[in-house]
Amino acid sequence: MQEGRSLTDREINRGLLNSLYQNPKWYWGSVTLLGVIVLGAMAAAGYMINQGLGVTGLNRPVMWGFFITNFVFWIGISHAGVMLSAILRLSKAEWRRPATRAAEVLTVFSLMTAMLMPFIHAGRPWRLFYWVFPYDWARGVFPNVRSALIWDPSAVFTYLTSSILFVYIALLPDLAVIRDRSTGVRRTIYSVLCLGWKGNSRQWKLQIIAGILLSALILPVFVSVHSIVSFDFSMAIAVKSWHSTIFPPYFVIGAVHSGVAAVVIVMALMRWLFHWHDYVRPEHFDALGRLLIVVATGWFFFFVMEFLFGLYGLEGDEISVKDFLTAQAPWSWWFITFVGTTYFIPVGMWLFKSVRRNPWLMVVACVSVNIGMWLERFLIIVPGLAQKQLFNFAWYTYAPSPVEVVIIIGTFALVSMLMLLFAKVFPLIPIYDIKEGEILKQEIKIGRRTVPAVIRED
Amino acid sequence: MANGNGHITPVEVDLTDQGITEHLSHKVFAFDRRLAYAMAGLGVLFILGIIGFVMRAVGDGFSDASRHEWGYYAAMFAFLLCTAGTAPLVAVAFRWTKNHWRRPLSRASEMFALVGILNLLWFIPLMALLPAIDLNGDGHLEVGVDRRTVWFEGPIGAPLWWDMAAMIGLVVCGLAILWVSARPDMSVVAARGSGWRAALMRKLAMGWQGTKRDWRRQQAFLAMLGGFYFMLLILVHTLVSLDFALSLVPGWKDSILAPHHALTGIQAAAGTVLVTIFVMRTWGGYGRYIGLDPFWAFSKVLLGLTLLWGYFWFSEFMTFWYGRDPTEQSVIKLVMFESYRTAFLLNFFFSFVIPFGLLLWNGVRKSVLGPTIAGASVIIGAFFMMVRLYVPAFNIRDVGAHSIADFEAGVGQAIPSQLLPVTPDVWDVFIILGGLSGTALIFLLGTRLLPVMSMWETKEGLLYMLVRPLLKGRYMVLGKPD
Amino acid sequence: MAKQSVLGLYQNAEYAAEAGDALQAAGLTKDDYDFLTGAPYPEGAFGERHVSHRLYVFPFVGALCGLTAGILLTSMTQMAYPLVTGGKPILSLPPMAIVTYEGTMLGAILFTVLGILFESRLPRPSLGLYDDRITEGYIGVIVTCEDNQAGRVEQVLTQAGAVDVKRGEAS
Repeated sequence: MQEGRSLTDREINRGLLNSLYQNPKWYWGSVTLLGVIVLGAMAAAGYMINQGLGVTGLNRPVMWGFFITNFVFWIGISHAGVMLSAILRLSKAEWRRPATRAAEVLTVFSLMTAMLMPFIHAGRPWRLFYWVFPYDWARGVFPNVRSALIWDPSAVFTYLTSSILFVYIALLPDLAVIRDRSTGVRRTIYSVLCLGWKGNSRQWKLQIIAGILLSALILPVFVSVHSIVSFDFSMAIAVKSWHSTIFPPYFVIGAVHSGVAAVVIVMALMRWLFHWHDYVRPEHFDALGRLLIVVATGWFFFFVMEFLFGLYGLEGDEISVKDFLTAQAPWSWWFITFVGTTYFIPVGMWLFKSVRRNPWLMVVACVSVNIGMWLERFLIIVPGLAQKQLFNFAWYTYAPSPVEVVIIIGTFALVSMLMLLFAKVFPLIPIYDIKEGEILKQEIKIGRRTVPAVIRED
Repeated sequence: MANGNGHITPVEVDLTDQGITEHLSHKVFAFDRRLAYAMAGLGVLFILGIIGFVMRAVGDGFSDASRHEWGYYAAMFAFLLCTAGTAPLVAVAFRWTKNHWRRPLSRASEMFALVGILNLLWFIPLMALLPAIDLNGDGHLEVGVDRRTVWFEGPIGAPLWWDMAAMIGLVVCGLAILWVSARPDMSVVAARGSGWRAALMRKLAMGWQGTKRDWRRQQAFLAMLGGFYFMLLILVHTLVSLDFALSLVPGWKDSILAPHHALTGIQAAAGTVLVTIFVMRTWGGYGRYIGLDPFWAFSKVLLGLTLLWGYFWFSEFMTFWYGRDPTEQSVIKLVMFESYRTAFLLNFFFSFVIPFGLLLWNGVRKSVLGPTIAGASVIIGAFFMMVRLYVPAFNIRDVGAHSIADFEAGVGQAIPSQLLPVTPDVWDVFIILGGLSGTALIFLLGTRLLPVMSMWETKEGLLYMLVRPLLKGRYMVLGKPD
Repeated sequence: MAKQSVLGLYQNAEYAAEAGDALQAAGLTKDDYDFLTGAPYPEGAFGERHVSHRLYVFPFVGALCGLTAGILLTSMTQMAYPLVTGGKPILSLPPMAIVTYEGTMLGAILFTVLGILFESRLPRPSLGLYDDRITEGYIGVIVTCEDNQAGRVEQVLTQAGAVDVKRGEAS
């Protein structure tokens, strides 16, 4: 699959750096608007910290609501980066080239945003200091390594550190490109950032190996992160419907599902905003669409297993949770929406090649996936906690307060704003990767047909 | 291969269309003494297996009361499902992803679809051994009296006939894949040979002419059947593991078991195909078709599957261990840490530790022997996994109980007798040997009808895999047709 | 005698590859020259010198350090605060495995990144002889030679079709 014309290095530089050098009117307007929303969310969080968690909709027994849902959601989105860039790098898929950087950067920003959620949720964020760091800070009490809530920071910290380094190492050659195209202070900054990259044979060889090696090392971390997030739920036996052995892979594949969908949205947006039609082409959306069909179907199998085993035990309390979820409005409506938007609507769309090759229809399908995946996390967390079970009169449902809604909207604005700001200083499509693709591109003539081909090193 | 610079130069392909056709069709008809001895030996072992089965059937019969005698038989069924039953997936999967290195191994993996017939026959006695869902027959389910199953109240024919339907679907779909994929080669074999085999192949080729339309339809059918095969395979793994292992152990509620079973199957299938191409390369005379490439590329996939195996196991173990629930504790004691500890340890080492320890190293991956040893290891691991899942499940008499934690140990016993480990007796050993030899025998018989190296895929490879210069170097160029 | 660097710039990759041959014909060895490119060419495309490295050692050393740190951290905090939770033993191995695993991977990745920088010989305080056009698709052939050879090298590079030849102090 190779479409689109051949590009010279000069054209690639100019094309992919236009996000840095051009100042379209929409850019600062959008950044300002997003910034205002983020400020609004910060104000809401400040108000909440000042007034206490009472201003949220959280109440016994539902002490985990929108914040934790959003935490799991953003951790899930962060799985796109590694999923795409590492797996596709290792399998040497040519169509990965325009997608990797955006996916990795999305990983970094969504992880950072995800980590804000437990901080905000804690109500008194400064106390997290005691929770995360395994040192005896004057209390004589160490954090409990046996608690799943301690595993989380260790995994996310590892993942965040690795992703940032991964992005940075892959950015080195591109920083040199920017250095060579700038003057003055800007040149000095990029010279320092690119560490004196020259592009000699040693540097390139190591760069290529680095991509493969770091991918292979990050993959096991990526799988562990969402598994450990799922352990936050599945280790607990007290909450019915949470204690299920399938949770780790179920969460991971769900994360991949929502994450890859998010990458599709980002790619369509950058193609549109920065006019990268030569780089992000229908064939890339097609390939991502096919991948998503497989991922979505895998996810659906795990979902069915999880649901089935909620009922399998024939235990009254677990069945009550499923009953609460599927038969009691408004939860049943949310449940139907969740299954439809996560699987049936998008997969139904992706079955058609014309949809897969249309960026905007792909965006529609992928937004649907992410609505569904957000609801999935919500529907895992809240109905279990609501405790509406036989002979339990202390049950309570949950409705978010405006404070929570504003903070949640703020996180979406934050990630979008960070992505836009990143695009202003660094190229969102790896320049050297595209150039490499041009070098390796070949054609094979068979009779009267020309078949696209690629040079394969090994 | 490294040249003086330490750069890698690709293997120059020195095959021609003509050479491939002649050599491979000759291989089908040629009489090979070693092969004949091997088949005779396998035949004897297979007959032993049949004897073992008959003795078991005559001695113990098929009933709820004799189920505990059939544990190893059930384990062997699941093992065959994991290896030969799942092997065609290898061809399906890498045809989807259009990997060129799959070409030498896709027919070998499809050929295992023939073993599906044995697997299907093997399943029939198991149907008689599964207890009813509604144990007391009062028409509704009650925990602690009736069995928990994924079928709940049980639609008509559940679970047996539904399982059987899925099994039949899987086997038929596998055979269909083999047939659709082999039709071009069948017509070659028919044209090049004589006698009943050529006549049969001519019939089966059903007028294959190799027109553009023929090829297009073949591609479309293969893609479609591949999708069906994958889904049916997951379904069968799910049904078999849940109906014949999990639901027989009261209180065992393990949502990852079915995916883990399917994953073990895929891992063992990868091992099976690796071992098969190793045998073909070393003793079968197919060395010129099977380079290092399939081993090297496939071993990466096997490494990934092995890591996933460890991960799935950890997910199961951690949830049960952490929960501290007595029922879950007794389940992991049964299938992992007490009763079937030996089988579990062997399973863990052969399915995870050994392949992981080997395949971690690029030097091992980039060899012929390394991936083969890892492949053989995961096959052995899968066998012990099936033993530790099915043998204890078949040995529980009191399937309607609430939890195995309620079982009481007899006087002087540490473990309740239903949960004690069971070792295979002589008939079990015969049955196991029969299953293994039957698989190999059917596969070898298949190679007497069809080329075990896909002619058309090998020839197609010649079109799309070239060696070309770029500046001062020479590189492999891979065509990517749509 | 002082060393000098000469940089020849080529618009065409073929000419650059030929320049390498010409330099060898003029008596230089592969260790004396290298190719600067704006994108990774397949290894050996210019007939350049072989690059050896020990990058694969780094992740193993890092993993070992991370593993040790993880085991020490988890076991010592558990022992230092002996509170039984959920009926689990004080020194519980499975939960330790998780934090230890993350530590191992973190160690491996940190060391790998250090290894990449070290083996790439980065960071480099001075860029040495370089040209901005390299990132624009030009191929640079950089030669390190004795002072008295520099003129000859310049000539060889120009003859091979260089669009520009520069000379500078060897870095």
